[in-house]
Amino acid sequence: MGMEQVGILVAIPASVFVLLALTYKLLPRGGDFLVVLAFAAMLLISLAVAGDYVGHIHDGHFAPEGANAFAFDWINIGNGHFLIEFSTWVDAITVVMIVVVSTVALMVAFYSMSYMHGEPRYGWYFAALSLFVTAMLMLVVSGNLLQLYVAWEGVGLASFLLIGFYWERQSAAEAAKKAFITTRVGDVGLLIGIVLLWRQAGTFDIQGIIEFAKSGGFDHTYLTTAMIFLFMGAAGKSAQFPLHVWLPDAMEGPTPASALIHAATMVVAGVYLVARMMPVYDEVLIARDVVLYTGLITAIMAATMGLVANDIKRVLAFSTVSQLGFMFVALGFGEVGAAMFHLLTHAFFKALLFLCSGSVIHATHEQTVEELGGLRHKMPITTVTFIIGSLALAGIIPLAGFWSKDEILHIASEQAPVVYVLLASAAVLTAIYTTRLVLLTFFGEPRNHHAYDHAYESPFIMAAPLVVLAVLATVAGFVIFDPVGQALGFPGGILATVFVEHPHHFVFDPMFAATAVGTALAGIGIGFAYWWGDAKRAERARGWAPELHALLVNRYYIDDLYQAIINRVVLGMGNIIALFENRVVNQSGVDGGAQTIGWFGHRLKFLQTGRIPNYALAMAVGVVVLAVLASSAE
Amino acid sequence: MISLTHYLVLSAILFSLGFYGVLVRRSAILILISVELMLAAVSINFVAFASYVDTDLFSGIIFAIFVITIAAAEVGLALGIVLRTFRERASANVDEASTLKW
Repeated sequence: MGMEQVGILVAIPASVFVLLALTYKLLPRGGDFLVVLAFAAMLLISLAVAGDYVGHIHDGHFAPEGANAFAFDWINIGNGHFLIEFSTWVDAITVVMIVVVSTVALMVAFYSMSYMHGEPRYGWYFAALSLFVTAMLMLVVSGNLLQLYVAWEGVGLASFLLIGFYWERQSAAEAAKKAFITTRVGDVGLLIGIVLLWRQAGTFDIQGIIEFAKSGGFDHTYLTTAMIFLFMGAAGKSAQFPLHVWLPDAMEGPTPASALIHAATMVVAGVYLVARMMPVYDEVLIARDVVLYTGLITAIMAATMGLVANDIKRVLAFSTVSQLGFMFVALGFGEVGAAMFHLLTHAFFKALLFLCSGSVIHATHEQTVEELGGLRHKMPITTVTFIIGSLALAGIIPLAGFWSKDEILHIASEQAPVVYVLLASAAVLTAIYTTRLVLLTFFGEPRNHHAYDHAYESPFIMAAPLVVLAVLATVAGFVIFDPVGQALGFPGGILATVFVEHPHHFVFDPMFAATAVGTALAGIGIGFAYWWGDAKRAERARGWAPELHALLVNRYYIDDLYQAIINRVVLGMGNIIALFENRVVNQSGVDGGAQTIGWFGHRLKFLQTGRIPNYALAMAVGVVVLAVLASSAE
Repeated sequence: MISLTHYLVLSAILFSLGFYGVLVRRSAILILISVELMLAAVSINFVAFASYVDTDLFSGIIFAIFVITIAAAEVGLALGIVLRTFRERASANVDEASTLKW
């Protein structure tokens, strides 16, 4: 299994999707075992491809010997004049993504067998899951931008289907619509960017565009514009400001779907895109700065909104948006390795957190933290794994999240101290809201005794993925170290070897690490101070600044702003055009035409007198006229 | 002497009189008589040409015989229709038969 066969990773879930979509009502158990088996196979293939990739690394250089690309022609006009292919390309970024996607997908599929048991349309859920994985894998292995765009829309579709899975609920249907429309706005930018790049480079092939950019073939302003448009698409899909509004609402979907799509995989598609196009971004630093500052703003903004959210999944959604902001900050500095590493660790611990919250929801049928509390007595495994995930999120050594977040903070501190300070404050906020969530859910006194009494620990099928992901969240960070890397086959650790385009040798800086851990612990301390016990301090704090609290709860009123724009501008224009269509086209045009004919008819009918002499005269006149015409025509 | 022109003028006058009769007469029978007058005028025209211009072949005379035959057949048919149509009304007034109107 070599890198050329990575297309199989797309074919497997695609065939599972087609099979399930057509026959899920006929298959036993809705065909869920097929999906789990397929995802397990995909994980093995991903690891094999990763091994093959690593095997081709010599002396710190990735020498594929032409073996990592596969392409066949899709549209070929004029014998190469206009060429669109289905092509794959494997490099470090691809390898990381396929391993992450396969692992989390397998965990989620396995978990879903128990979580979604008894839900209506059970088989369709697994079909939609397979569709998503197909599109996501196609996205990460595609070698040209057009194929990437197709897959991009594909993940958007799968996301829509999964968010709106409980479409009988009005809020779910609207959330699905909102997600699709918001990402669609971003996708317009993406398409414009792709076409702009193609117009000058003459090809959709990503490596071709990179070569063209490096050789200076693009006009500088043109390329800046194109890359900013491309980033618009990334911002839409990755829920960055100002297109972040869909992700909190996307929590209407089933929790395992949220874990897969809106935590670990789809939302990182934007990160993947920017990482993939980073050599081009390096040519236009203005566009890269746009990436940086957007990520920074989002990281802080989302962290503040996560502080006041009352629904477990909403807090995690804001947390995801914030952590994606971290990744974009890393990309904004040009550090692909750090961003992809954070993507890897974040996928594991965020999926873990979501699945744990699913465990809580499944047991108590409650999502708001106001109805929870004291669950650690009833659900020990969930509690422990959730705490591990939270500590990883907060960035406590030696969990995975610490290593990756520390890398990003370290890069920021070297390149732009102001950014470092802001990012560190976002990290403190992260620790605070994480602690808040843990304390309110699992500690303290239960606030809703009905929910508490019915709570129970999750069955094996749900608990096993939690444990696996907790282990991964703990140890995944160690790949940054040279010895671990050598044991696995990539000497120098993940940052040096795997991301050979921008190798970054990892040097452990104890002082810096201590600072980072210190700020995280300070955040945890603040969280304890406010939310330990009966959280009276937090309630008093809410009273100090009610407007600020309202601002955060209402998500800075951005959703209301967008709704107002839609109501006034979009629907207003729609009303004008509808008025035009009604008055001009329908009434005047279509009806008017008919009425005109009727008007003429009412007046011309008087020719039909019924009197024979009149008709005889008419015939005579006609004959005379014809004779005159005939004689004058000669 | 009497030349072709005289006969053509006569034919034209008779045709116009017949034409006028078709348009003006109120009785269906009189309309038919006017049609006969037109046909007769046309026959005179043909025979005149046959006598003065086409003296060897006299195709116009043959044509006139055809016209007479056709006129007879047509009048038979027309009278049949007229009798049928105006039997109910007990009147041959064409002006009154105007029910097929707006």
